[in-house]
Amino acid sequence: MKKYDAVIVGAGHNGLVAAAYLAKAGRKVLVIERRRFVGGAAVTEAFPDAPGFKFSACAEGAGRLHPQIVTDLQLQRHGLETLPVDPVTVSVLPDGSALPIWQDPGRTAREIARFSKADAARYPEFIGFIDKMGAAMTALITMTPPSLPKPERGDWLPLVKFGLKARRLGKKDFSNFLRIISMSARDMLAEWFESDVVRGALAASAVKNITLGPIEIGTSFWFLYRSIGSRNGCFRPSGFVKGGMGVLTGAMAAAARQIGVEIRTGSEVAEIMVKNGRATGVVLGDGQKFEATVVVSNADPRSTFFKLLDSAHLDPFFMRGVRSIKSRGSVARIHLALSDLPRLRSPISGMNGNNVGHFQISPDIDYLERAYDAAKYGGFARKPYLEVSIPTLMDQSLAPAGKHVMSINMQYAAYLLRKSDWDEQRSSLGETVLETLVEVMPNIRDVIEHMQVLTPLDLERAYGLTEGNPNHGEMTLDQFFYMRPVPGWARYKTPIKNMFLCGAGAHPGGGVTGIPGMKAAQAIQSSLRD
Amino acid sequence: MSKKYDAIIIGGGHNGLTTGAYLAKAGLKTLILERRYLVGGATVSEELYPGFKYTVCSYVISMLRPEVIRELELPKYGLEILPLEGLFAPTADGDYLALWNDHSKTREEIKRHCLQDADAYDEFGLMLYHMAFAVKPILAMIPPDITSPTLSDLRNLGRLKKHIQQLGSEKFYMLSKLMTMSSADLLDEWFETDILKALFAFSSIIGTLNGPRSPGSAYVLLHHFMGEQDGQYGAWGFHKGGTGGLSQAIANAARHLGAEIRCNASVSDVISQNGRAAGVALDSGEEIYADIVVSSLDPRQTFLKLVDPKQLPGDFVDAIGNYKFRGSSGKVNLALDGLPEFTAMPDPSMLRANVELCISMDYLERAFDDAKYGNFSKQPFMDILIPSMFDPTMAPPGKHVMSIFVQYAPYELNGGWNDEQRDAFGDAVIDTLAEFAPNIKDLIVHRQVLTPWDMEREFGLTEGNIFHGELTLDQVFFFRPVPGWAKYRTPLRNYYLCGSGVHPGGGITSAPGRLAALEILKDLKK
Repeated sequence: MKKYDAVIVGAGHNGLVAAAYLAKAGRKVLVIERRRFVGGAAVTEAFPDAPGFKFSACAEGAGRLHPQIVTDLQLQRHGLETLPVDPVTVSVLPDGSALPIWQDPGRTAREIARFSKADAARYPEFIGFIDKMGAAMTALITMTPPSLPKPERGDWLPLVKFGLKARRLGKKDFSNFLRIISMSARDMLAEWFESDVVRGALAASAVKNITLGPIEIGTSFWFLYRSIGSRNGCFRPSGFVKGGMGVLTGAMAAAARQIGVEIRTGSEVAEIMVKNGRATGVVLGDGQKFEATVVVSNADPRSTFFKLLDSAHLDPFFMRGVRSIKSRGSVARIHLALSDLPRLRSPISGMNGNNVGHFQISPDIDYLERAYDAAKYGGFARKPYLEVSIPTLMDQSLAPAGKHVMSINMQYAAYLLRKSDWDEQRSSLGETVLETLVEVMPNIRDVIEHMQVLTPLDLERAYGLTEGNPNHGEMTLDQFFYMRPVPGWARYKTPIKNMFLCGAGAHPGGGVTGIPGMKAAQAIQSSLRD
Repeated sequence: MSKKYDAIIIGGGHNGLTTGAYLAKAGLKTLILERRYLVGGATVSEELYPGFKYTVCSYVISMLRPEVIRELELPKYGLEILPLEGLFAPTADGDYLALWNDHSKTREEIKRHCLQDADAYDEFGLMLYHMAFAVKPILAMIPPDITSPTLSDLRNLGRLKKHIQQLGSEKFYMLSKLMTMSSADLLDEWFETDILKALFAFSSIIGTLNGPRSPGSAYVLLHHFMGEQDGQYGAWGFHKGGTGGLSQAIANAARHLGAEIRCNASVSDVISQNGRAAGVALDSGEEIYADIVVSSLDPRQTFLKLVDPKQLPGDFVDAIGNYKFRGSSGKVNLALDGLPEFTAMPDPSMLRANVELCISMDYLERAFDDAKYGNFSKQPFMDILIPSMFDPTMAPPGKHVMSIFVQYAPYELNGGWNDEQRDAFGDAVIDTLAEFAPNIKDLIVHRQVLTPWDMEREFGLTEGNIFHGELTLDQVFFFRPVPGWAKYRTPLRNYYLCGSGVHPGGGITSAPGRLAALEILKDLKK
């Protein structure tokens, strides 16, 4: 039997990042992936019934990936190529008009002027403000949460560093930072903008992939979280990965393998072995065992503790915390294989005809809020908030010549339907999305060759995301920082010795940032050294 | 120049009276000015229909700080709180849930709905007790300015750190979650029975434009649990004669300590000289001078109405402009010819409890949904009290008064509030009530409906917010009313705040009034 320093359960992007960093530090690492290929929720997949079309199934964009990881793992050498997305998005309105959000704040301001002169004047200042707030947020999420209420000796340095960074913001902006993370996106945006269109366009970023409406407290925090890694004044960094997200995780896997990581795909871990309160390795579904000094789970905390571990090994108080983690997925993903390019109802100024790679249906705050209401009562929105991308406009390799793919992020759709189930409602959800889309893209139905609808239940089944939550647990204030995944266990360790978490369920949370994987590797390294 | 005082308090609400009493007690020549004909602010009882005394706005007492009762010797001046007997909540299917002060009775009652919840109820109560205990010292402290702490702030922060560490990690984590989560999530972790959850959840929405599923609502639940009667947390009481009786007691104490109280004296402006507050001008044109001026009004009135905002820093004025009020509640007071009969109530003596029309978690949430889009709830939440059940002085023999606190009635109503909308709102309340107590319509001899607009006009509550500003995370502790100015002082020297718009916020606590007085006395080195 082979003995590893670390065995990592799951080859999602965070699992791969953790593996690569550990291997770089000289550790012998094995990564075990259930599916036939690596990537987790950051994968490029093909339509089973429409050959030649490829799409990024769940995660899209690498704009928030920590730049250090790209450098350290030399991801570009392993095939990663990202293209800037510009406009970042276009808010398409019911009357056919549109507000493009460009990378360049000045250009966006000129677009905004069509809706409000005052808002146009404030926009560049707002972007500057969000840059500053985003920097403070970045400082917060790249530090390992201190042990609270009693910080350990090693906690003081990062805390002091954060304090100094915060101080550099100045008294007024630091107060603003604290205030803004505890308010709603609606209120934060209302302090800056008067136009419903502008507020609606920006608020989308505050609710994407979470189950809260923009009027709820904490959405402003999520807005800032999503602005990390923003460069050149764009509050919502994206970054299109050529070849789809699978190329990103493929590059990570290649980098990891090159420094000695062993990756086994098509192998499902059935159980994490525990002896005398210590993790000792894993058992696969076929009975194969792998022993290791530490076991690291890239799965979400609820899957990890309820499915991979025998509860006899776990403290009931801790398990109560795990049971209380809110997963609450409310995102559906719809992928379309298109015979031709669909056209927006009206041309967008400054763009090549009606072609636009990214757009959203998020006309105003109330629209988003009403879409959320449906999920509150266990249903799905009949007028949903949509984020639409046509990646083939940037990368024709994803479809046969002249054809296109479209990926749609649909919100809100409750994981738990009260009156029915998803196997029954799947097609109705797809139809609702098309009905919404056809309003702004009249010819969409004519060009669909194939359609795939992934409900929250499908996301859970296919990608192991508990309740279909893309962030491995809701990104709300009560599940952030020293409270993620559960209070007291935010430092990648778990109550089982030698067992760690490295996925989005750990600090700082979801999004393709690689930060949980990178920070977990640091925590594992220091525990292996002890 | 007319008569000179050491201190003038603008507004004779319970906090203004409290500050006045403390300042007088320290020997300051203090004048309290009240716009209306009687003191009390939103803590008043008025006979609006002959023989029937309404607790017009606030109606129950629980959060009054024990140290205020002690230090101002309020029982000597008429404080008399009668305990309430519990809560009675009907459900949509004709059943009910009742929680009594008698613990074993409550236990039996919860068991009737769900066995596990009876145990969970005890644990939950204990948890809230611990949390209230954990927060209490924070509520009693002067919020430090953490962005540029002074020496005394650092001392306070040190004390806070010590306090939190003494709590231990389990309680600290629970508190952290409570501060940030929604009450629905909290209650889902504890209970199965929907009506039991709803019965806790209603206190998490009071005074805010938030629903039980809104993050931050768990803190409001805790805020309402903070009350204590004789050391028992979460217990509620009724002041003899209505809450106005409490205001009278504090006013009596203040007068006895030497404060002067003038009613029918509406302040139009704060007079400032050389960048300092120097007195006030009344609507009548009269000017009264004093060394310091203290406003018990809410922050918007205090800074944007009584003072020329040009005298204040621009950033500060902007921040006050962003301070959220968003009144979300209304009040309906009824004079009744007899007792209402609730279909679900097995025994009319249960009317000595608060009747809570909270119905279910979804009911509360849907009531909120109406309000967030600018409508009053068609089926609102109601906290109903019949004061004449335990205080016969409130109504003629055999007759009754009913106090109904209603949510939601948003200040920003689509189309705006007017007489017609007020009536429609009142009707929605009575219609909903009649579903549970069918004879109510026949009993009403007089009805008073207060919308948020009425509360603003009559009681000076900006946007009708009963707490002088929402109790949301971004508006409590050192954020209240705005960061950097949470210590009762203002950018205008010698001008202070002492109302619910400063830490620790709203409710009949007298805590802001007391803390403001202590800070003022510190400045005056008394």
